[in-house]
Amino acid sequence: MSAPDAASGSTARAARARRAWLRDLRQVALFTGKRLLALFVTVLVGVYLTIVIANMGGQVDDLRLAQIEATIGEEVRADPGFFDLPSEERNEIIERRVQMEVERLRLDEPFIMRSFDYLQQAIRLDLGRAEQMHSDAGSRQVSMIILERLPATLLLFGTANLLVFVVSVFVALVLSRRYGSPGDRAVIALAPSSAAPGWFYGIFLILVFAFVFPILPDGGMVEVPPPEGTFAYWLSVLEHMTLPLLAMFISTIFISIYSWRTFFLIHSSEDYVEMARAKGLPERLIERRYILRPTLPPIITSFLLMLIGLWSGAIILEQVFNWPGLGTLLFEAIGYRDTPVIIGGVVIFAYLLAVTVFLLDLLYAVLDPRVRVGSGE
Amino acid sequence: MTADTLLQVDDLHLHYQTQRGALRAVDGARFDVRRNEALVILGESGCGKSSMAKALLRLLPRNINHFAGRIVVDGVDTSPYSEERFRREIRWRRISYVMQAAMNALNPVVRVGEQVAEPLRVHEGWSRSRALRRAREVFEQVGISTDFLRRYPFELSGGMRQRAVLAMALITEPDLVILDEPTSALDVLTQASIMNVLKGIKAEQGTSFILITHDIATSSELADRVALMYAGRIVEATDAATFFEHPAHPYARMLMASVPRLHERERPTHIPGEPPSLIAPPTGCRFAERCPQRFGRCVEDPPGYRLGPRHVVHCWLHGPGRRAGGGED
Repeated sequence: MSAPDAASGSTARAARARRAWLRDLRQVALFTGKRLLALFVTVLVGVYLTIVIANMGGQVDDLRLAQIEATIGEEVRADPGFFDLPSEERNEIIERRVQMEVERLRLDEPFIMRSFDYLQQAIRLDLGRAEQMHSDAGSRQVSMIILERLPATLLLFGTANLLVFVVSVFVALVLSRRYGSPGDRAVIALAPSSAAPGWFYGIFLILVFAFVFPILPDGGMVEVPPPEGTFAYWLSVLEHMTLPLLAMFISTIFISIYSWRTFFLIHSSEDYVEMARAKGLPERLIERRYILRPTLPPIITSFLLMLIGLWSGAIILEQVFNWPGLGTLLFEAIGYRDTPVIIGGVVIFAYLLAVTVFLLDLLYAVLDPRVRVGSGE
Repeated sequence: MTADTLLQVDDLHLHYQTQRGALRAVDGARFDVRRNEALVILGESGCGKSSMAKALLRLLPRNINHFAGRIVVDGVDTSPYSEERFRREIRWRRISYVMQAAMNALNPVVRVGEQVAEPLRVHEGWSRSRALRRAREVFEQVGISTDFLRRYPFELSGGMRQRAVLAMALITEPDLVILDEPTSALDVLTQASIMNVLKGIKAEQGTSFILITHDIATSSELADRVALMYAGRIVEATDAATFFEHPAHPYARMLMASVPRLHERERPTHIPGEPPSLIAPPTGCRFAERCPQRFGRCVEDPPGYRLGPRHVVHCWLHGPGRRAGGGED
């Protein structure tokens, strides 16, 4: 960008520089605005589709109606205050209450009308109340339910993915330099091990390290009851994390190294890398400036996508290790047809994705001069 | 080898590993370059010219099969050098290189000036501002506006990028610059102006050049000497005047006859057939298959016959007792 550093000359030049700078600013603002709008539309569409699907296009309403009738009928019949009423009157009361509930939930309106209200609420992050589920603390607020599960998932999957990411990029960079070496060939040979998911390795790990050699816990996040003292507590969490972490690490590390290694191999045969070599630059500088720097955008993309991928957790792995995370939560929510919880999860995911993509757009512009918006000089 | 020999190459081999066996891209090359001399290595596509350039700088590919030979720079044999020592002492300090794909030879995310100045900062430990000042000088020398120092490569045209890479190769004032097809992707006007820049630098700084090309006409402008390559081997090496007027090797003669010339009635001819595979090259002379003058001995490897003080030709026609077969001297 033509920054105002040219302003040292005459005032006319300063004014021109200022105008150019303002024009750049306007362009950046325009670009940002357009991107934000496009992403917002994406979120809208995604969330709306989820609302329609999670409600099975309105069919969930019938289930809900039947459920309301059953619950209220039960309540009224069980209420001692209504015992001596004749059954017609009791039925009338039931009908009235059902009617009230239906009006409260606006089940009498067509689903399509309500779906837009749901959309509006979801977009405002007003996630509402769960129908069946509640948090361990007893709250029925969807946001509370989700917030309660979030740290467990972030802790486990964040650690695992970060570990895999850092280790694989680093090892891949080293291997790409030692193409065809025994280590390189070993990684290629081991890459198919990632065909099995983490939970598959998890089962064996539990079998070996929790039962054959009982040195680690077989599941859960912390001892029951939780140990006193912060240090003892986290030590216990660490102990419980070891096996699931290991399972995830084993199941992804080799394919991850393999693909990064191939990525770096491709990019280290670029002409400008060979030129850097011919120039006699030291290998470390070549790696940093000629391989990593031009490839930073895709590396950061995959890193950020990995981070938001954490949000969904991993349903089966969490089940196998009895880990109280979001994967388990969403799985249960689908089982209960608890639409607000499902929609809540998706809404937050959609927002996270949109924010990430937006950040990536900005980062690309910073990292790659070719992407910078036409700051015509 | 005389005192002003700058580069002496002996028995250079570079073989690649392929699915079908070793590909002998450079197979026993031998030549020398003197100070302030421009050697043109001439050859058709796939004869191993670019591999030769890379071998001289030890830029070995991943699928290397065999690399051997002596590269003597300024009287010092570099073959025992470790990779690290070779990088520090030879690359860009003694020999610099403009690669064939010079358009893509610049890192897309680093400003041109930084890249051009980089060798001075790495090899000589110069400060950034001092190196950039020197970059400004070489930019003027090769005829690019110094404004481009602050630009990114994608903001430069192909010709400008080519010049920027040339500036990068000259910035450390190396003894020898290897240029691999430096002008083949450019239009004729740009070609001519780059050749003029090279001529100027050669005259002013006494730099030696190895110009690798298939373009006989353009290369003749700069050439002091010519080495003709065929199927991984140098078949004739001599001074430019002799080569262009009276080449000795049948391949050289047929090649010269295939060049169209102005003001001449003769139609250019072509050489029938195609070069042999470098994976399983024929024994004996590699040109024999296409040579109209081949005879019994051609199934054996022709040694280098000395026709003049610095004129060597690998052809049995110039062997003892066969001079009548076509020697010019």
